[in-house]
Amino acid sequence: MDLISVLSYLCIGGGLVFWFWGTFPLLGKRSVLFKLHTLSVADTLGSMAIVVGLLLRIPNEWPLLLLAIISLALWNTVLGYVLAYCSSPGSENDG
Amino acid sequence: MTDSYLYIIVALMPLSAAMLVFQTNPYHALIIRGVLGAMSALIYAVLGAADVALTEALVGTMLAITLYAVAVRSSMVMRLGILKDYLSDHIKEKDQQKDQPTPEPVLEPAPAEETVASSAQPPPPFETLLSDLRTVFRRHHMRIELYAYADSEALQQALMDRDVHAICLPTAALQEAVSAQGDRESLYRKPDWQSEPAPYQTITRLRRLYDIMNAELASSSTTLTLTAVGRSAPTSVSHAIPVSVQPLEEQP
Amino acid sequence: MTLVLIAMILALLIPMCEAWKDEDIWQTMLAFASIATKTSVMILVVSVLRDDWMIGVVGVIILSVGNAALMLLAHVIKRLSEA
Repeated sequence: MDLISVLSYLCIGGGLVFWFWGTFPLLGKRSVLFKLHTLSVADTLGSMAIVVGLLLRIPNEWPLLLLAIISLALWNTVLGYVLAYCSSPGSENDG
Repeated sequence: MTDSYLYIIVALMPLSAAMLVFQTNPYHALIIRGVLGAMSALIYAVLGAADVALTEALVGTMLAITLYAVAVRSSMVMRLGILKDYLSDHIKEKDQQKDQPTPEPVLEPAPAEETVASSAQPPPPFETLLSDLRTVFRRHHMRIELYAYADSEALQQALMDRDVHAICLPTAALQEAVSAQGDRESLYRKPDWQSEPAPYQTITRLRRLYDIMNAELASSSTTLTLTAVGRSAPTSVSHAIPVSVQPLEEQP
Repeated sequence: MTLVLIAMILALLIPMCEAWKDEDIWQTMLAFASIATKTSVMILVVSVLRDDWMIGVVGVIILSVGNAALMLLAHVIKRLSEA
C-alpha cells in the first residue's frame, strides 16, 4: 500500500515535471515546429504519467483511465502531425 | 467543496474572458474563444456540473469556433472589381481551371510571379497598386478578392448594384466611358488639379474603406473616390452622387 | 493532492500567457492545444480526487473531443490563411 502510494506520487510528480519542461519553451522565440515537438512529447508523456499515477492511486476507475491513456496516446500524436502539416506553408491541398 | 484550489481555478475564467475581449485580431480571438471554452468546461466540471461541462466542450468549443471561423472568413473581405484585361495571364489560367460563373473570384497571384506577369496591355503599376492595397488591408485583417468584369460599364454597374465594395479601373478607360455617354453627368471626371492624372482610379461606396485607404495607402498611382449609393440599390448610374473627389496626398 | 492541482494551474498559466501575446497564429494554436490537454487532465485528476465517476467520464469525453475539435480548427485556419 505504501509502496503503491509512493509510486503514484512519483508518477504524478514526474508528469508535472514533464509538463513544465515541455511548456516553458513555448514562451521562447523558437520556431513553431520546435515548440510543437517539445509540447507534444511533454504533453503526451506527462499526461500519460499523471494518468498512470492516478490509476495506481484509485484502481477501481481503471476503465476510464485506460480510455484516457489510449485516447491521449492516439489523439495527441495525430494532433501533433496535423498541426505540423497545417502550420508548414506551401504544402499542396491533398489532405 | 470549499477547497482552496477552487478559487484559483474559478479565477481563470475571468482571466481568459478578459483576454478574449481585449484581443483585436479576429483570428486570434477565435482561438482564445476556444481557450475560454476549455477553461469554462474545466470550471463547470470542477464545480460538479458535468452536463454543463460536456455541453460547453461540445458546443462552445467545437461548433461555435467553426461557425465563427466561417463568419470571420466571409465578412472580413473587400470585393474589388477590376477589368478583365488587367488580369495577368497566369491568373486567367487559374480562372479557367476553377470554372466558376462570372464574375469569378480570382486567386491571388503568387508574389514571385507578379513581376513576370503583366502583358503589354495594362500599365505596370497595377500589380504594385494591388500589393499596396493588400498590405494596407492586411493591417486591418482583411483580404481582397478580385472580381473581373468585361468593361468599365459593367464595372460601374456592379458597384451600383452592390456586387462589389470597390472598383479599380484605369483613368483612361473611365474617360472613354464618360465621353461615350455624352450628356451624362460627369461623375468620374478627371480631377482638374492634376496635370498628370494618376493611372488608376479607385472608387468605393463605403466610407470606412475610403477612410482606411485615404489614410494609409502610400501609393500615388491611384485617385480615391467615394460615391454614395442609394438605399434601394439603384439600377442606373445617374443616381450616384460623388461625395468627395480628392487625390491622395503626395508622399514627401 | 491539492498541491498537485495548484502546480497544474501554474503549468496552465504558461500557455495562457503565450496565447495572450499574439504573434503567429500557429503559436496561439499550440497554446490552445496545450491548454485543451491540460484542462482535461485536470478534470480527470479532480474526478479521481473526489472518486466521482460522472466527472471522470466527462473528462475523458472532453479529452478526445477537444483534440478532434483542434484538428478541425487547424484545417480551417490553414484554409483561411492560404486564401
